[in-house]
Amino acid sequence: MTFDAPTIDYAGLSPIIALTAGLVVIVLAAVFDRVKRFGPGLALLTYAVTAGCLIWQWNADLDLVSGALRIDGLAVTLSLLAVIAAAVSVLLAIGDPSETQAGRSDWLALLTGSLLGMVILAQATSMLTFFVGLELLSIPLYALCGTNLRRRESLESGLKYLIVGSVGSATLLYGLAMIYGASGATGFQAIADGLQAGDGMLSDSLTLVGVGLVAVGLAFKVSIAPFHQWTPDVYQGAPTPVTAFMAVATKAAAFAVFIRFFLVALGPLADQWDVMLAALAALSIVVGNVGALAQTSLKRMLGYSGIAQAGYMLAGIVTATQAGVDALVFYLSAYVAMNVAAFAVVVIRERQTGFSDDISTLRGLGREKPLLAWPLTIAMLALAGLPPTAGFIGKLYLIEALIDDDWTWLAVMIAIGTMISLGYYLRVVAALWMSPAGEAEGDAAIDTASLPPQIAGAQADPFEDPGADRRWYLVAPALIAMAAALFFGVIPQPLVDFAQHAGDALSVWVP
Amino acid sequence: MTATWAWLVLLFPLLGSLTIGFGFKVLPARVAGLIGISAIVAAFICGILALIGLQGEPSESRHVASSLWEYANVGGLRIDLGIYVDPLSIFMVLVVTGVSSLIHIYSYSYMKSDQGYHRFFSYLNFFVFSMLVLVLGGNFIMLIVGWALVGFASYALISYWYRRNTATKAGMKAFVINVVGDIGLYIAAILIFKNLGSVDYGTVFEKAPEVFTTNEWEIVAICLCLLVGAFAKSAQMPFHTWLADAMEGPTPVSSLIHAATMVTAGVYLIARCHSLFELAPTAADVAAWVGLATLMIAGTIAIAVTDLKRIIAYSTMSQIGYMFVGVGIGAYSAGMFHLMTHAFFKALLFMAAGSIISAMANMQDIDKMKGFRKAMPFTAAMLIIGALALSGFPGTSGWFSKDEIIDFAHFRGGMYDWMWAGMLIGAFMTAVYSFRIIFRILPGPACKEAEYLEEHGHVIHGEPKNPATGELEDTEVGYPGEEHHIAEQAGGMKFAMSVLGILALIGGLVQVPGVDEVITNFLEPTFEDSVFAHMHPSTHEAWVGLGEGALISILGITFTWFLYIRRPDLPVKFRERFRAVHALCVNKWYGDEIIDFLIVSPVKAFGRFCNRVFERFAIDGATAGVAGLTRSAGAAVRDMQSGMLRGYAVLMLFGILAIAIYFLIRSI
Repeated sequence: MTFDAPTIDYAGLSPIIALTAGLVVIVLAAVFDRVKRFGPGLALLTYAVTAGCLIWQWNADLDLVSGALRIDGLAVTLSLLAVIAAAVSVLLAIGDPSETQAGRSDWLALLTGSLLGMVILAQATSMLTFFVGLELLSIPLYALCGTNLRRRESLESGLKYLIVGSVGSATLLYGLAMIYGASGATGFQAIADGLQAGDGMLSDSLTLVGVGLVAVGLAFKVSIAPFHQWTPDVYQGAPTPVTAFMAVATKAAAFAVFIRFFLVALGPLADQWDVMLAALAALSIVVGNVGALAQTSLKRMLGYSGIAQAGYMLAGIVTATQAGVDALVFYLSAYVAMNVAAFAVVVIRERQTGFSDDISTLRGLGREKPLLAWPLTIAMLALAGLPPTAGFIGKLYLIEALIDDDWTWLAVMIAIGTMISLGYYLRVVAALWMSPAGEAEGDAAIDTASLPPQIAGAQADPFEDPGADRRWYLVAPALIAMAAALFFGVIPQPLVDFAQHAGDALSVWVP
Repeated sequence: MTATWAWLVLLFPLLGSLTIGFGFKVLPARVAGLIGISAIVAAFICGILALIGLQGEPSESRHVASSLWEYANVGGLRIDLGIYVDPLSIFMVLVVTGVSSLIHIYSYSYMKSDQGYHRFFSYLNFFVFSMLVLVLGGNFIMLIVGWALVGFASYALISYWYRRNTATKAGMKAFVINVVGDIGLYIAAILIFKNLGSVDYGTVFEKAPEVFTTNEWEIVAICLCLLVGAFAKSAQMPFHTWLADAMEGPTPVSSLIHAATMVTAGVYLIARCHSLFELAPTAADVAAWVGLATLMIAGTIAIAVTDLKRIIAYSTMSQIGYMFVGVGIGAYSAGMFHLMTHAFFKALLFMAAGSIISAMANMQDIDKMKGFRKAMPFTAAMLIIGALALSGFPGTSGWFSKDEIIDFAHFRGGMYDWMWAGMLIGAFMTAVYSFRIIFRILPGPACKEAEYLEEHGHVIHGEPKNPATGELEDTEVGYPGEEHHIAEQAGGMKFAMSVLGILALIGGLVQVPGVDEVITNFLEPTFEDSVFAHMHPSTHEAWVGLGEGALISILGITFTWFLYIRRPDLPVKFRERFRAVHALCVNKWYGDEIIDFLIVSPVKAFGRFCNRVFERFAIDGATAGVAGLTRSAGAAVRDMQSGMLRGYAVLMLFGILAIAIYFLIRSI
């Protein structure tokens, strides 16, 4: 009897290795006081190396670890998006109370851990790595939401996310178990083969209920209605740098596995699940857009808008075509730019006004601080899908993919949702540019200093940073993201190529 | 070369808007105004050069498509950042830039003491740019972009005095109704792309007859969706309610956007897509009937209301109704001709009204106006010219254009004879409401404002009040400044009004039946593929029609004279006698209330329902949060478990259950 050790493709695994090594260094750095303050630098270095590895593996197309992971175009592109989001989040968190209160290294370690989960998730091709990646993504995030130890809303949001997220994970696991039962396999390709080989398995109730439960579990993660209720609460309560990370990176990673699992493993069942996903997408578009209309908190509004945007993106999976995946990835990339621009401005405003993200505190910002008002304006216009921004092209791309596959009614839903969404996005723009400054400030701000600490032993620490709009690490992400949202709206081709690289990876499985 | 000039037409207003918008801190106010004016004048000149270039081509190749670059190429959808230059778009460009130039000159004087001078000109230039994108765009996506941008510009300009609650509300209303129209246009574009595989004008119009059979349901659906957009933008029933409220904006805005240019976009849209509408005659008839209904109903409202600007606004709806009938029944060049003359005389009427309102220290109620004949002779003369042209007095521009549409309906006969009759009644009402303005505010003993103006030689100073609610206003942004300007004393206003006055009087001479017919010949290359291209009444018939029009117009004016000058007691008696009818008209046929009942209330109820279902738990949580701020984290768990989480769980389980049941049913 001989034992063959599995061949390990270190090149293919390099992004994961780099990230893990970085994580270890960051955790160790916590011990040494001198190195501690370089935490953000270390984290950024780690992400840069990871991004480098991903770009190195740009054209890779191979199975790793006995088919548990797979590095290909889809994995590389969506991992890159997650890494970018994490890097922005590190910058936005410098000096943030959540980071200082939780301990800088701990905070960064949690973030890096979550990012590692995302990178694994984007490469997962087996139900085991799928679930492990998802949990590795989620658990640090639950903790991150609660890192603003002196704000009750932050703690509450962490807890709420944990409880709701657990329900989601449990549902997902239950669904995975059923599919395993039906197909007798854990690898995505093997599941597809198993389902096709089994007699009548393609319409078996065990299989189909399993598909439904997996869809529900993933819908939790990407906040698709009716599994979205946690989104506005958690977005609003969590520290804003974490919200920004959550809004963007989680969506990228979860959509990666959503695409892979549904198009590869459940591809033979496409005719069974497409109507359900279309219904969920349509519901999200309605609920997200109508819900956002009534919001006064900017973060809450972005939460609802995120639900609607998730609905648009889900439409890309509904088509089960490469064009749909291309459109989804394009939209997701644009979404990263527009959300980063918006959240960066929210972070700066929160620091200046002592934690108020009420839309009324934006009044007159256009005249006072155009450098903050422009990124937010462009972000809102891009989210609303107005030309010449990347959001416009993204929506066109999705609509085109839907029409090509005879989903005209869903394309019309996107059009209607877009129009409704103008109602709340333009309200922000109007507040920025039309109203005079200094009218309704102060009343919405919460005086953090007077609050007793929520956890025994923590010191009360009034936080306000009037000079936040002059800190490069806060302003630069906003400006760069704004420039990207505009640039890819005028010259979309590079981003189209990027998105098509992701879609090409699935050319074996989908038309 | 033609295309280059057309691109320059777009460039100048955009540059003007950006220069003023970004330079508001350094540019002196007058300079900003001058930049605004010269940008539009430059666009007008480029428009003329493009016209010359276009006329140099042989008539069958008088359309130029030009693309700056390929804007997006995703999957099978290719969108060029392109324009389409043909006689129709050049016609619109000339009307838009020409009238806009004059209105910019008027505004230069009229808005002199407004605190937001820069903002005003920046917006105004931006509007002109958007409107030009709309008319020059070479595909449906550019059309939608222009369509949305003019909607936004209109919103910004209606709410220009943003401290005025009535103005911001009116802006919102206009925006919301226009967004409904935008959805229609969006869906139409999606359906066009689905069926024809392209959104370029050239390809779409060429392929449509091959793909669709006449009155096939899909082409009818496309045209009806286009019509939703057209009705909303052009304030036709049932989307008409926003236009009257839009009068909250400054008077030059009413004149430019809500009379001369933007609101006629719907007419342009139908004319542009005439080859689609001819494949869907049902939809074309819908356009014509809705236009007819609007022109008659708006006419009755204009006779009853007393707000000077609103009378003119309802008259605008009514006249656009004529244009819709025109392009709906196939009289394309007649519809476009009326669009042009209407731009002249309606812009003129608004300008004159602005001058009177200035003299009245911002009051707009015609009940309070009297005897302005001597105090403001120039304005009075312009007002009379405008009213004559509007009511179609023989020889004026309105006479030629309106009666050409009316005549074509009679010429087509059958069902269209009903339209002919309706439009004649409408023409009578037009004469009545236009001269109601004249006879009520010009003759008679002077009111105190007119007297003051005569005696002191300058305008009376009133309290800065909102004419709609009587509230005191913030003069920094919520009011057209401390001073008021009347045409008699402001050069810019006088110049603009004189030019428009001349055009309103003699502008119709370009299209005299049997003599020159310049408009028809010029637009012919655009409409030559139409089945109606070579169908028109004979010269004899046309002159009979003109005779009828002249008769009705004179009858109407005489009737009004009798009513308001000879027997001024009669209107009061009428009102007493037919209280219900008067109430119906004054309340605008309860349009707002009907929309409120049918659409707004159900939507609000739905919103409340959503809020209750989706939001309640969160709000509960927030209230609990304030109460329990000092509690420990453990208490937070208790709160949440008693409140939101349970609700969340119920909804989630409901969702999971629904999906599981769906799949169980599928598996059987």
